[in-house]
Amino acid sequence: MAHMEYNVPSERWPVHPETATLEGKNKFVGFWIFLAGETALFASLFATYLALKDSVPGDDHLLAAELFALPLAFVMTMFLLTSSLTSVYAVYHMRNNNFKQMQLWLAVTVLLGLGFLSLEIYEFVEYVHLGHTFRTSAFGSAFYFLLGTHGFHVAIGLVWITGLILRNAKRGLSVYTAAKVNTAALYWHFIDVVWVFIFTIVYLLGVM
Amino acid sequence: MAEIKQEPLSKSKLEYLRTQRTKEMRQQMVSFGMMIFLTFVAFGMVAMDLDSRFVIPIVLFMAVVQVILQFYYFMHMKDKGHEFAKLFIMTGMYFGIAFVVTFLYITWIGSPI
Repeated sequence: MAHMEYNVPSERWPVHPETATLEGKNKFVGFWIFLAGETALFASLFATYLALKDSVPGDDHLLAAELFALPLAFVMTMFLLTSSLTSVYAVYHMRNNNFKQMQLWLAVTVLLGLGFLSLEIYEFVEYVHLGHTFRTSAFGSAFYFLLGTHGFHVAIGLVWITGLILRNAKRGLSVYTAAKVNTAALYWHFIDVVWVFIFTIVYLLGVM
Repeated sequence: MAEIKQEPLSKSKLEYLRTQRTKEMRQQMVSFGMMIFLTFVAFGMVAMDLDSRFVIPIVLFMAVVQVILQFYYFMHMKDKGHEFAKLFIMTGMYFGIAFVVTFLYITWIGSPI
């Protein structure tokens, strides 16, 4: 992108910077196709989880109702929901050609995502101590596969957004970087969409 | 493809765009407030230990509402030019619902094969 114009004055900043180039348009459509595939992927993991929920080999294994704690799930939900809002702020400032604010809100998003991921790791460690692991039961396998795939997506999102912040720090905002930020924000929102179903189906219906 | 093709915007046009974006931000704040509210209600209802036959449908319904808010307001699906996005996501959800219903049926609802 040798001839890319960076940090143009707002009068010349496109109304929709993220789809101002052909590349941006392609990215936009392609990413929605990807998200549709992700929907089917997570749905199959949810189906597996629902089919294998509480399938344990003996009485000495903990079931969902004994395992899950609502307060932790609630705090994790708040972290991820708020980080979704902060990435909305980032896209808002990107469209208003405000590079500094965009970077700031992307950084806040990363911090909140880190908070979420640390809580999830803490949760997994606790469960392993309680004897609920990937290998101890079909319930465990399905649980860790679903939650682990989601957590892995969060980790990828964190690396992705951190990479964008660092890579764009010196070069600033252009229609090229705007499309990248928009795509990362869409991905981050989608992670939150999946989490809404996880906290409802796994945690809320699990403790009942 | 590198250069920006935008015709220079007039001051009033720029001002108008800013107001529109602020308006959209207000909508997004309202939908965020609703999402927080729905989350509180969902956790609260489960914590109160009500009858599960009554709670489960409501909690699932609130999750669907939250996801619609997320898609339409946070991911801008309400804006123009999202026809394909809608089509793709709908297709993904169609398969997703088929997976979940099938698995639930063969393991929990249907008679053993």
